[in-house]
Amino acid sequence: MLLTALISGIGLGSMYGLMALGFYVTYAVSGTVNFAQGSSMMLGAVLTFAFARTLGWPMPVAILCALALCAVYGLLVEFIAVRPFASRGSDSWLMATVALGIVLDNLVMFTFGKEPRSLPSPLAQSSLEVGGVNLGVYPLQAVIPVIGLALAGALYLLSVRTRWGSAMLAVAQNRAAARLMGIPIKRSIALAYALSALFAGVAGVLIAPLANVHSDMGALFGLKAFAVAILGGLTSAWGVMIAGLIFGVAEALVTTSLGSGYTQIMTFSLVILALALRPNGLFGRAEVKKV
Amino acid sequence: MSQSSSRGLADVAGASAFIGLLIAGAAMALTLNGYYVFVLANVALFALVGVGMNVLIGLSGQMSFGHVGFYAIGAYVVAIMTKAGISFWLAWPLGAVLAGLVGALLALPALRVKGPYLAMITIAFGFIVEHSIVEMRSLTGGQNGVMGIVAPQLGRLASGERAVTLLALAAVGVAFWAYVLLSRGAWGAGLRAVRDSETASESIGLNPLAVKTVAFAASAVCAGAAGGLFAPLSGFVTPHTFGFAQSILFVLVVMIGGAGSAWGPLIGAVVVGLLPELLSSLEDFRLLFFGVLLLVVLWAAPTGVAGLIGALGRRVRALFAPSPTPTLTASEPADGGPVLSKRPRQPIFADALSISFGGVHAVSNLSFAAQPGQVTSLIGPNGAGKTTALNMLSGFYTPSSGGFRLGERALGGAPAMAVARAGLARTYQTSQLFGSLSVLENVTLAMGRGRLGPLLGSARLRAPKAQARALALLAWCGYAGDVRAPAADLAHVDRRLVEIARALALDPDALLLDEPAAGLSSDDKRQLAALLRRIADAGLALVLVEHDMTLVMGVSDYVVVLDAGQRLAMGTPAEIQENPAVRQAYLGEQAAPAAPRQAAAPGERREMLGVNALVVGYGAEPVLHGVDVQVMRGEVVALLGANGAGKSTLMRTLAGLHRPVLAGGVTLDGQDVGGMGAEQIVALGMVLSPEGRQLFPELSVLDNIRLGAFLQPENRDSRVEEMLGRFPRLRERLHQRAGLLSGGEQQMVAIARALMSRPRILLLDEPSLGLAPKIVAELFAALDQLRRDGMTILLVDQMAGLALSLADRAYVIEGGRIVAHGDAESVARDGALAQAYLGAQHERA
Amino acid sequence: MAHSFSPITRRRLFAGVSALAFAVSAGAAFAADPIKIGLVTALSGQSALAGEAISRGMTIAIDEVNAKGGLLGGRMLELVRRDDEGNPAKGVTAARELIFREKVAVLFGGLDTPVSMAIVPMINAEKVPFMGPWAAGTGVTKNPGNPNFAFRVSAVDEIVNVGMLDYAQKTFKATKPGLILVNNPWGESNEAGLKAALAAKGMSAVGMEKFQDNDVDVVPQLTRLRAAGADVLFMVGNVGPSAQVVKSLDRMGWKVPIVSHWGPAGGRFTELAGPSGKDVHFVQTYSFFGKQSPVGERVIGALKAKYPNIKGVDDITPAVGVANAYDGLHLSALAIAAAGSTDGDAVRQGFYKIGKYEGLIKTYETPFKPGVHDAIQAGDYVWAQFIENRILPVGVTN
Repeated sequence: MLLTALISGIGLGSMYGLMALGFYVTYAVSGTVNFAQGSSMMLGAVLTFAFARTLGWPMPVAILCALALCAVYGLLVEFIAVRPFASRGSDSWLMATVALGIVLDNLVMFTFGKEPRSLPSPLAQSSLEVGGVNLGVYPLQAVIPVIGLALAGALYLLSVRTRWGSAMLAVAQNRAAARLMGIPIKRSIALAYALSALFAGVAGVLIAPLANVHSDMGALFGLKAFAVAILGGLTSAWGVMIAGLIFGVAEALVTTSLGSGYTQIMTFSLVILALALRPNGLFGRAEVKKV
Repeated sequence: MSQSSSRGLADVAGASAFIGLLIAGAAMALTLNGYYVFVLANVALFALVGVGMNVLIGLSGQMSFGHVGFYAIGAYVVAIMTKAGISFWLAWPLGAVLAGLVGALLALPALRVKGPYLAMITIAFGFIVEHSIVEMRSLTGGQNGVMGIVAPQLGRLASGERAVTLLALAAVGVAFWAYVLLSRGAWGAGLRAVRDSETASESIGLNPLAVKTVAFAASAVCAGAAGGLFAPLSGFVTPHTFGFAQSILFVLVVMIGGAGSAWGPLIGAVVVGLLPELLSSLEDFRLLFFGVLLLVVLWAAPTGVAGLIGALGRRVRALFAPSPTPTLTASEPADGGPVLSKRPRQPIFADALSISFGGVHAVSNLSFAAQPGQVTSLIGPNGAGKTTALNMLSGFYTPSSGGFRLGERALGGAPAMAVARAGLARTYQTSQLFGSLSVLENVTLAMGRGRLGPLLGSARLRAPKAQARALALLAWCGYAGDVRAPAADLAHVDRRLVEIARALALDPDALLLDEPAAGLSSDDKRQLAALLRRIADAGLALVLVEHDMTLVMGVSDYVVVLDAGQRLAMGTPAEIQENPAVRQAYLGEQAAPAAPRQAAAPGERREMLGVNALVVGYGAEPVLHGVDVQVMRGEVVALLGANGAGKSTLMRTLAGLHRPVLAGGVTLDGQDVGGMGAEQIVALGMVLSPEGRQLFPELSVLDNIRLGAFLQPENRDSRVEEMLGRFPRLRERLHQRAGLLSGGEQQMVAIARALMSRPRILLLDEPSLGLAPKIVAELFAALDQLRRDGMTILLVDQMAGLALSLADRAYVIEGGRIVAHGDAESVARDGALAQAYLGAQHERA
Repeated sequence: MAHSFSPITRRRLFAGVSALAFAVSAGAAFAADPIKIGLVTALSGQSALAGEAISRGMTIAIDEVNAKGGLLGGRMLELVRRDDEGNPAKGVTAARELIFREKVAVLFGGLDTPVSMAIVPMINAEKVPFMGPWAAGTGVTKNPGNPNFAFRVSAVDEIVNVGMLDYAQKTFKATKPGLILVNNPWGESNEAGLKAALAAKGMSAVGMEKFQDNDVDVVPQLTRLRAAGADVLFMVGNVGPSAQVVKSLDRMGWKVPIVSHWGPAGGRFTELAGPSGKDVHFVQTYSFFGKQSPVGERVIGALKAKYPNIKGVDDITPAVGVANAYDGLHLSALAIAAAGSTDGDAVRQGFYKIGKYEGLIKTYETPFKPGVHDAIQAGDYVWAQFIENRILPVGVTN
């Protein structure tokens, strides 16, 4: 039972981590986030369903197309809801991303339908058994953290091995110096938003066979992912991923021991406690006070 | 005076408009049908929460996405207590107070964090409240909440929702009035001060945490009071009514209306309260349209509708009344009394002050005394630890060992706020005025030494006596502008003067000044010098950190020289000027590179870079006043001058980091680049290796170097190899994080990175800054090699001797103007250079 | 891609936009003025589908009434809908708008029990008849209002809960029931109902567990119920969360009979829950599958004609929403006709005057009397299960 909770918690936690990576990427590069990140996740799941089930495309094609469109949506978020405000020094991108999320959720509700649907996966048919012991989880739940960590690793490799990857790291670490290298800041920020939505989309695709696919599926998830990003410290990719696992396991353990009514009370209290003790998150670096 | 009367008129107009609105609202509440009354009440509740949120967001600059939690607390207190038979009139204020208490409690963890971290804590709080309500079923009725809450009676005037609506309107009236008082009073100024510059607020004795906690609690009280009216208005409370979305709406009220404007939340409440109702017949399309319209409103008015209306109003007024509004200027006190009280003041004793950051000793064992009535200057090359020492003396850094006293009072380790209250005031390298406060408010606010008086009171800010003293102080400091102007709009020199006046408003024993002359013209500097002298003569102990040696040597009674965190010398200005160690530290005369000077390769003398009558500045005041510089192809040109002379500003402007160019131009190979951004200029081949290296600290050395080739990735790796040939030291560090390298190695990485961009002209800003002499020699050998390879270089360096040994030609810049130029040797001989570095009184031996 | 922009929605959009421009519309009532029937329900968010089903049931019935010449001498019925987002505060505001501005004759509404509970005191105060086509909370119709304006054609938790226990005892010989309830107001009201039903028989639940409506894993809760020795599960939750319970049971490999409230009927339960979805027995007020009455055939035909994306009876989901709303509307029309006016109190008494009405769910005989405001009684419930993606009464296989 504890093992089940752990596997399930790690699975969910790595999804929180993936989405939180999305927050991390845009925050590092631009100091802004898509507050409606849950909507990007929902888009990934809904589009995959639409391509695979409604249009009957092969699953890999459907997933790739869905993720590509997620990235495009990320560009759109940056262009519509972030750039017009951030460039004028206004904080209204906060509200604008929320508004855009509302618009997307409702557009999906009218096109996709109001009915929750299920995206079947061969990895979520029967539960995982090890040595004849039923672990009470789908193989997918065990695979998800692997994919999550692999993607985080891939992000890492991308960032150190590719020209644009290191360019974005450069923008995150020292914007002025990055400009002196000729790195275009605006395009880096747009790219960060595309990546951010892409990560959320991957989380959506992975979570879809476990959850139900509908226009509302991302809201709470996105908020928890934000909590994870903050808990991890927003300045460290690995910190964010680890915070996701911590959050997921904490949720599973609270649900197992106290019942699910207390899950959010306990996990959010932990977030407050953690921030009270470490104001820059668990893995965030404290900045030297500049006077 | 006429302005104050016109302001008074505007106040009267605003107040009557508001009272008129309230009366109209009350009339509507008594006559309209149940739906409109309900909508009106909802708008009023939004306004009530919004006014409170405006204290938080608009005045203190904090953010909360959890105020629905306070709203819920107020609502449930009223629901539960009235159901238990307790009077609404008791329950309502109790709910608001409880919400305020919880708000103050939440402020404890919340206000230690900033930005998104704060947002998260408030979000978490909202969720915790919502879910706790569900779980505390015996008290709260769980998921199904409390039904059948009875609305209070207002005598025979109104009952039910009409009564609640009247109450809500009255509450909005009270809250609005309180907001106006708060915002105009000392606390409002304190809140804005903390928002504008938390650092500076501490150094006038304010306690930012306390001030922000009050803002949090005040906004929580408003939300709680609104919740307490929501319960009887709707007749029920359920947890689901108090979800996260409601918090978003609360923030929206302020953001749409305009944060910081008294009318903002009222406008925002009307929008947020009415828009969904106007859209209600869209049925299931309502939310979609709401989202779209929200985006449109945000696009149209990114800083709020109130701001938009205000801007439009100003434009219209400017159209009809083009005459400038009369200003109020500072004046000497009528009674002619002294501006600074005549009382004995205490000296500062620094006692073996030491501090290190990450193993580096920024300041070690610094001891000196600054006597009252004297100017004690703290000088030294860049990176010597002067500002760090000042930060310890003002309580911003805690010394790792040693301490300091003000008279007999030990202050080492005390927080900045306590140091300020004890009587040690300071100013900042880049002046930190409270930009949204007026000049006068900046000064009067500081006079309380951190005391703000009653929450809604304005005596400390607006009492005639206080204002008269502030005016006198400003006049005494030489500020002649409008004292009602927002400090953010001031010219550079005025910022310096007002900041000094603000520091003096504390009536301190000692005053610490961090580079007050930076960026001032020579006239302004003379004025400043006179002011500093006057302050010292008034009996204060003055500690001055300054690069302008003319000023330092002219005004100081005593000089302490720091180098690499150590005290290098101490004495009178004349002693210091003759001290060979000081000359070495400043001019680096002995550290010329080993390689003998070779004549630059003869080639066509074509201009590579032309700077033509360039004027740039920060804000209104120019820093460069028409600078002309020319760099020929294949030439090394040195740009010399003291700190604050404008060297780095020039370099940043050339590289495209500083914009706009106010006048004049920059040409690269004849092409005008004055309007281009940094990215474009790099592509044209002008590359800056900036001051302070500016590496990407988390990336490896290799990645840093590779990034230099971002625009020209072809055969990158062979070029990296070439760089390693140039800087062999870097080979073994290749895979280390750049941030962990020593200063010299970092500088090599920075130059290598710049060279990877294939520059046609390399701009080098302070390459030797903070480096040990041996490393400097190695670095300059590498630069000399570059020169011999035919690279065109424009070099800025504190070490004038070194720079000149490398350069073909040199320019000397002082106060934003070129004061001398010529070939390197003649500039080295010219007195202008030594004067620029060591001050006018210095005479070359 | 279940929904496309039909001409109706486009007209609605246009109406909405013009309403934006003319926010306040007023007009005196003429004889030919339509009689407005209000509906406050969730049209967006998680419960949007059920709100849509109610809308459809009402629309079909309104079309039938209007086709026969309307009411009160030729006045047509007109449906006016408002979205409450499942939020009681929004629901109350919307209800007020419909009552005071749209002047609806009868107000339908409240998918969620708390929304209905919040609206009921107001309709009693304003004397506007209320018809509940969905929310099953007992207190909606059993409220302290005197006179009471709230009527209902839907399940009543109290009665359903007794039925669930009876069914579990009869069908599964269950003695140790475990409760698995969604953590929302509906789940909480059933918790009370089920405990009362058990207590009435001197029994008690071996365990009671809550789950969130967005949980993807209910294994921990179910493991505790299994450890407590439950031999039947009483499940209350909407279709998505219910599916998660079934999937979690699957993963645990626990085969236990499930007796459920009508949640699974709210969507494609077998698609969501997987093959084990068929083992869930749940209560229905009506099923469009199997042999239909003439009324049933007529309604199915009308739905298919009106809504192009209804191709078969399995597209009529949730069926109970359509059926309850359809009968509720017809009963309301009869009440208005009996009252001879749209005056609230007259219509309320009109409900009592309804005699025999051959409806979709059943043939009603004097469905409402003072003190009896629920048209559906214990004997009217149907126990059903999913076979493939068709809801069939238990025992019927085609």
